[in-house]
Amino acid sequence: MSAISAKRKRAIALLSLTSIILITLDLQGSASTSVLRGTFGVFFRPIEGVARVITRPVSNAWHGITHYNAVTQENDLLREKIAQQEGAAVAAAASVRLSQELLALNGLPTLAGINSVSAQVIGDSPSNFSQSVEINQGSESGVKVGMPVMNAAGLVGKITKVFPRRSIVMLITDPEYALSVKVINNPEAASPINDPEASATTTSSTSTTTTIPKPQPTSNIPGFTPGTTTLPLTTINVPISIPSLAPTLTVPNNGALPIRETGILEGRGPSRVPIVRFIDSAQRFGTILPGAPIVTSGGSLSLAPPDIVVGTVSKVTDRLGTAGPILEINLVADLANLSFVRILLYQPITEQVKP
Amino acid sequence: MSIRFIRFISSRWTRLVLVASVLMGFQTTLFNDMRPFGVMAQVMVLFAACAGVVYGAEIGAVAGLIIGLMYDCVLTTPLGLASLVLGATAFIAGAFPYFVRDSTWWNKAIAVAVASAVGEILFPIAQALVGLGGWVQWRIFVVALVVAIINLILAPILIPVVRWTLKETLVG
Repeated sequence: MSAISAKRKRAIALLSLTSIILITLDLQGSASTSVLRGTFGVFFRPIEGVARVITRPVSNAWHGITHYNAVTQENDLLREKIAQQEGAAVAAAASVRLSQELLALNGLPTLAGINSVSAQVIGDSPSNFSQSVEINQGSESGVKVGMPVMNAAGLVGKITKVFPRRSIVMLITDPEYALSVKVINNPEAASPINDPEASATTTSSTSTTTTIPKPQPTSNIPGFTPGTTTLPLTTINVPISIPSLAPTLTVPNNGALPIRETGILEGRGPSRVPIVRFIDSAQRFGTILPGAPIVTSGGSLSLAPPDIVVGTVSKVTDRLGTAGPILEINLVADLANLSFVRILLYQPITEQVKP
Repeated sequence: MSIRFIRFISSRWTRLVLVASVLMGFQTTLFNDMRPFGVMAQVMVLFAACAGVVYGAEIGAVAGLIIGLMYDCVLTTPLGLASLVLGATAFIAGAFPYFVRDSTWWNKAIAVAVASAVGEILFPIAQALVGLGGWVQWRIFVVALVVAIINLILAPILIPVVRWTLKETLVG
C-alpha cells in the first residue's frame, strides 16, 4: 500500500513539475507549447464538433428561455434605430468616401486601403477568467499575431494566437489588453479676448488664391494600397484674417476643428468597462465631455492602424495634479454577441519584414 | 503484447483521458453557451473535485493534473496553469474522506461544491502569480458562488461517472 502511495506521490510531483515547466515555456513564448496545443486541437476538434451537434438543441432551448424577452425588445429597438439611421448612413457614407479620398490623396493610410479577412466566431474561451474568442481563419489566410480585429461597429480586439485554420482573439475587455488611442474632443468655440491696451483699430479680411499641385501618394504600410483618385490642379480660396491694430485680439479660430489627445486604453474584465488613461493633462485639449469619440491612434509602434472607432467617453474622472483624467468608455462593438469579424492584415512599419 | 495493450486500454488513466475529452467537449460547447448570471459552469473543476472527494487526495490530484493539462490545451492562459489549479482543487477535495467517515451523497455534493468554489478562486490567483494580473477582483467571489451552486446540483450526476472512470479495474 505504501509502495502504491509512494508511486502516486512521485506521479503528483512529476505532473506538477511538468506543469511548472510548461508554464515557464509558454510564458517565454516557446513554439513547443503552440505545437502541443495545435496537436491536441487536431484530436479534440472532432469531439467538440460532435458535442456541439448533440448539445445544440439544449443550448438553443436555454437561449430561448433566458433571452426571449430581451431579443424581442432588442428587435423593436433595432427596427427603430434602422429607421433613424437609414438617412444618416447615406450622408455618413459620402463623408467617409470624401475623407478616404483626401487621405489617399495625401498618401496617408486609410482603413479602406488595408487588406482584410472576414472570419466567423466559432467559440468563446471556456473560462471565467479570460476574455477571448476563437475565429475560423488562421495563418493560411495571412493572419498573424497582433493584427487588429473589428466588426461592423468598431474595434473588437487583437489576434494573440494563430493556428493554420483558426486564431484566438483577445477582446478589448481583457485586463491584458492595452492600446494607444486618441480622444477626439470638440473644444469650446474660440472667443475674442478683450485687450484693454489696444487702441481703436479694425480687423480687415481678404482672400488669396493658392494653386496646389497633385501630390504623389506613398505608403510603407504592407497591405495598404493608396487610392487611385486623381485630381486636377485645384484652386482654393483661402480667407486670411489680417489683424491690424484691432480693439480686440482675435484668437485663431482653430477651435472649430476637433483636437486629438492620445492615451492608453486598458481592458478591465467583463464586468467593468475599459478605461483610457492619459500620461498628463494638456491645457490645449480642454475639458473632455462624455460622448467624445475614441479612435485608435495608429503610429509606427501601434499594432492597429489609425482611426478605427473604439467607443465613446461615458465618464470622466479627474486626477490630482498634472495627471490626466481617466475616461471610462462605452465600446461601440457588442462583444457579447460577436458572430462575424474582420481581421485587418495590418502590420506597423516597425514590424515589417524587409526582403 | 496484447495483454499489455488490454491493460493499457482498461487502465483508469486511459479511461480518464477519454471521459475527460467528452466532458471537455461539453465544456467548450454547451456550458460555454449557458452562462447563468454571466458565469460559466466549470465541469472540469467539478470532475477534479469529484475525483478528490471519491478517491482521496492522491488519486484526485493525479486526475486533476491530467485533466487540467488537457483543459490547458483549449484555454488561452499559459499551458500548465489549469493543470496546477485542478490538481490543487482535487487535492483539497481529497481532504473530505479524512473528515467524514460515513459520507452520504449530499455531504459529498457539498464537499464538491466547496472545493469547486476554492478551485475557481485559485484560478485568478494563479494567473496573477504568473504575471497575468487584473483578474483578482471582487467578481471572483460571485463566480465562485455561482460555480459552487451549479456544481452542487451537478455533483450527484457526475460522482457515479467519476467513480466508474477511476475504478482500479473494470473486472470484478
